[in-house]
Amino acid sequence: MPISFTIALIGVLTYRSHLISTLLCLEGIILSLFILIVLLISHSHIVSISMAPLILLVFSACEAGVGLALLVTISHTYGNDYVQNLNLLQC
Amino acid sequence: MNFTLNSMILLSIIMLVSPLLYNMLMPHKTTYFPTYCKNMIMMAFMTSLPPMIIFMLYGQESVITNWHWFSITTFNISMSFKLDFFSIIFIPIALYDAWSILEFSLWYMHSDIFIHKFFKYLVSFLLTMIILVSANNLFQLFIGWEGVGIMSFLLIGWWYGRTDANTAALQAIIYNRIGDIGFMLTMAWLMLNSNSWELQNIFSTNMDFIALLGLIIAATGKSAQFGLHPWLPSAMEGPTPVSALLHSSTMVVAGIFLLIRFHPMMENNQMILTTILCLGAMTTLFTAICAITQNDIKKIVAFSTSSQLGLMMVTVGLNQPHLAFLHICTHAFFKAMLFLCSGSIIHSLNDEQDIRKMGGLFLILPITSSALMTGSLALVGTPFLAGFYSKDSIIEAINTSYTNSWALMMTLIATSLTAIYSLRIIYYALLGNPRFSSISPINENNPNLINPIMRLAMGSIFAGFLVTMSIPPMTSITMTMPDMIKLSALLITLAGLAIGMELNSFTNKLMNSMKHTTNFSNMLGYFTYFTHRIYPLMNLYSGQRIATMLIDMNWYEKTGPKGQTNIHSSMSSLLTSTQKGLIKVYFMSFLISITLALMFASMSTNNF
Repeated sequence: MPISFTIALIGVLTYRSHLISTLLCLEGIILSLFILIVLLISHSHIVSISMAPLILLVFSACEAGVGLALLVTISHTYGNDYVQNLNLLQC
Repeated sequence: MNFTLNSMILLSIIMLVSPLLYNMLMPHKTTYFPTYCKNMIMMAFMTSLPPMIIFMLYGQESVITNWHWFSITTFNISMSFKLDFFSIIFIPIALYDAWSILEFSLWYMHSDIFIHKFFKYLVSFLLTMIILVSANNLFQLFIGWEGVGIMSFLLIGWWYGRTDANTAALQAIIYNRIGDIGFMLTMAWLMLNSNSWELQNIFSTNMDFIALLGLIIAATGKSAQFGLHPWLPSAMEGPTPVSALLHSSTMVVAGIFLLIRFHPMMENNQMILTTILCLGAMTTLFTAICAITQNDIKKIVAFSTSSQLGLMMVTVGLNQPHLAFLHICTHAFFKAMLFLCSGSIIHSLNDEQDIRKMGGLFLILPITSSALMTGSLALVGTPFLAGFYSKDSIIEAINTSYTNSWALMMTLIATSLTAIYSLRIIYYALLGNPRFSSISPINENNPNLINPIMRLAMGSIFAGFLVTMSIPPMTSITMTMPDMIKLSALLITLAGLAIGMELNSFTNKLMNSMKHTTNFSNMLGYFTYFTHRIYPLMNLYSGQRIATMLIDMNWYEKTGPKGQTNIHSSMSSLLTSTQKGLIKVYFMSFLISITLALMFASMSTNNF
């Protein structure tokens, strides 16, 4: 199970040109974290943190919404979601 | 006898007050006021003679305490007069000088419409001088001290339309004020440490170095010693009677008089005595050097006064206050007479003060020129004239005492320079061919002119002898010394006369190469050019720095609005230059460093 997290993390950090792949792999990270926490609860019978996966899911939905809003703004400005467009601070 | 002395001195002081009261109560009656003043001063002089004679015969001294003025808890101040050796002899001499000078100013200031105000100022000056001399406590002395300073200011600036006169008056006030700070230091020290300002109380305690230093600073300011001396030559902007009364006989000796009053305190303190000695030697030499190339007759006499004051300081520094006092008394006579003669010359030549434009007055003004020569001879210490008894005794004392040889050398050189500048006045003003325009009528017909000069001439011939023979010797003088030492004053004076004659003939022979060497002397040692510019310049610079650098530059441009903008823009440019927006590089570095950290962590725990 940690390997899926690692693969998704590598997916967030390394991408060629599209920003949406970052967001996609971010969802993958969250999914793997979700599965990890559920397995932890069911394997070691710690019932008191049973709410944690649900809370994680709620926050991930918000976060995905924010990420998609940023993506929409970028593609509204530039017309595509290429990463090399984000160079306003570059001197 | 007690009653006579006390009442006659107080009567003589009251006689000085009465002209002022007369002018205060009846200010419109000004026609005979000057003559009235002169007569009152003459009466005051006559009234103060019996106390002097009583003192000389019986040695009677007294302290008159009249009136308890005020007390601050345990500190009492009362009005008291100390009539001891110094004041009983000085008061008649001062009044004699003042009588002669007032009579002279009846002639000199005859055409001045404010002549009554002039006489009022002179009489009030004289009153404050007598208060200063006869004061028993420092408060009364300070009243007199400040009073003579104020009257000096009013009298120097008598012709106030002239810028130079105003500058000179202000200079006199400022330099005197700096001296007053020293006086107040001493007064404050005495108030704290001996809880009294009465001279009797002070004389029974010890005084510290600081307190005596305050007195020295006061004397430096008032008596124009080196460091605070420029006001005295500038004070010649006032009319000649003012120069004669204030700046030769009476006011400028106030500082020396203060030191003489405090001589019991300074006897045992060798450091103070050495300070006074060196200061006096410096003064006498410096002002004598400045005197030998001046071109204004009054300035030469002013520098001569300054040089003699330095000599008096030297004497005080030798622990011989009575000799210094004797020199004050004899100096008053011939210096006042020198000023009156120069006033006569100036007035006769239609207000010409430059000696390069005088000459050949020897036969035209016989009384003036003979008085001038008598006065100059008395000044250089010709045997058995007035100056000899004091000046020769001082030179003998300094030669035979265990003292600083540099001070001795300076004093001897200054004594020979005295002869040089006296000869300069005589040569340029009296001898040779006339260099003035022949329009002004020159005469000496007025008795108001002749009588004072004659009286002071009598004084400058006989006063030394009379005073010396009438007072008891206070210190033991050295009776035996080698021939050269005994004759040293006379020999260096003669050498000075020879050199002076040589110097005076330079103009006839057109020796122009001496110009560069005389610049130092003619420009008063450049002292005024340094000090009068530097201190205001520093003040103005610091003011400018405060206004522009501190307020404008600092608060507006470094820390205030402009400073904030500069700081913020520099910070943001610094920060933004680090952010280039290289997202992929940042992510990659994150990945690599996480990997490396995990590998290191796992390897360090050895848990594969």
